[in-house]
Amino acid sequence: MAAGLKTIIALSFVLAIGFLLVILSSALWHNYLPFLVVATYVLAPLPNFICGRCANPDDFMESSGSAIVDFGRFCTGFLVVMGIALPALLAHCALIQYPAMVMSIIGGLLIYGTIISFTMFFQEEQDF
Amino acid sequence: MSSHRLFRFPKPQWLNSPNTRTAGVYLAGALFSLGFFFFIDASTYSHSAKNGSDVHIKFVDWVPGICSALGMLVINSIEKTRLSADSFSYSGSGVAWKARLVLFLGFALMAGGLAGSVAVLVLKYVVPEYPFPTLYFGIANVIANGLIMLSSVVLWVSQNMEDDYTYNLAL
Repeated sequence: MAAGLKTIIALSFVLAIGFLLVILSSALWHNYLPFLVVATYVLAPLPNFICGRCANPDDFMESSGSAIVDFGRFCTGFLVVMGIALPALLAHCALIQYPAMVMSIIGGLLIYGTIISFTMFFQEEQDF
Repeated sequence: MSSHRLFRFPKPQWLNSPNTRTAGVYLAGALFSLGFFFFIDASTYSHSAKNGSDVHIKFVDWVPGICSALGMLVINSIEKTRLSADSFSYSGSGVAWKARLVLFLGFALMAGGLAGSVAVLVLKYVVPEYPFPTLYFGIANVIANGLIMLSSVVLWVSQNMEDDYTYNLAL
């Protein structure tokens, strides 16, 4: 199995670096608005999970299930771009500094990548 | 199926795969988010300290965006198979007619949103000849409505891809 102990250690390391970057981007300028990025990226995979549970994958003829799945994907795409757009917005309107924007975007992408690869590694085990 | 083709170039094969469809739905969400945040950025900028002028984003600027988003909701909540339902026997009492009417309302809302954003740009920002940081509010409004429209097109196209795929599976 690909998801060994090394994978978990590497993923938690990356997650820690991402959180470090986001916390530094907030704490260095005493301005805690970049923490919104963490909330966005933690929320981002949730619509996919919920709508994937709601839809019944067995029926191909009924298109109502696929509509719910599509709605979940739409929300996920929305939230992922929001995680990049929100720091850019805050920096453009002088609510945070530009270095803080760069750090929080990189940190947020690391956190989101960790969540995605974690679910990718561990969904194969639970599958049937 | 290939003899029913209308155009000389065949549809590329990758357009029919379910992965392209999934990517299209994600892309639609991303485009919608980008447009939405362009407008939110403009209105935040108008409230922030960097805005030197006394022109602000009022409710008038919000109306085109609301129209576009409503139009997108209407267009994409219609069941696509009902649009050509008149030829089937089980769809009585003009389902296709109603579906087309609602679809027309949706497209009218969306086109009205885009046209309204251009109207706001011209009437509120170009005609009084404001300099650039103020002009950005109007331009961001047009960009936001255009991106919402593009997102709706991508979502529509990728939802119509589904038909071939499910048809192949059902056979």
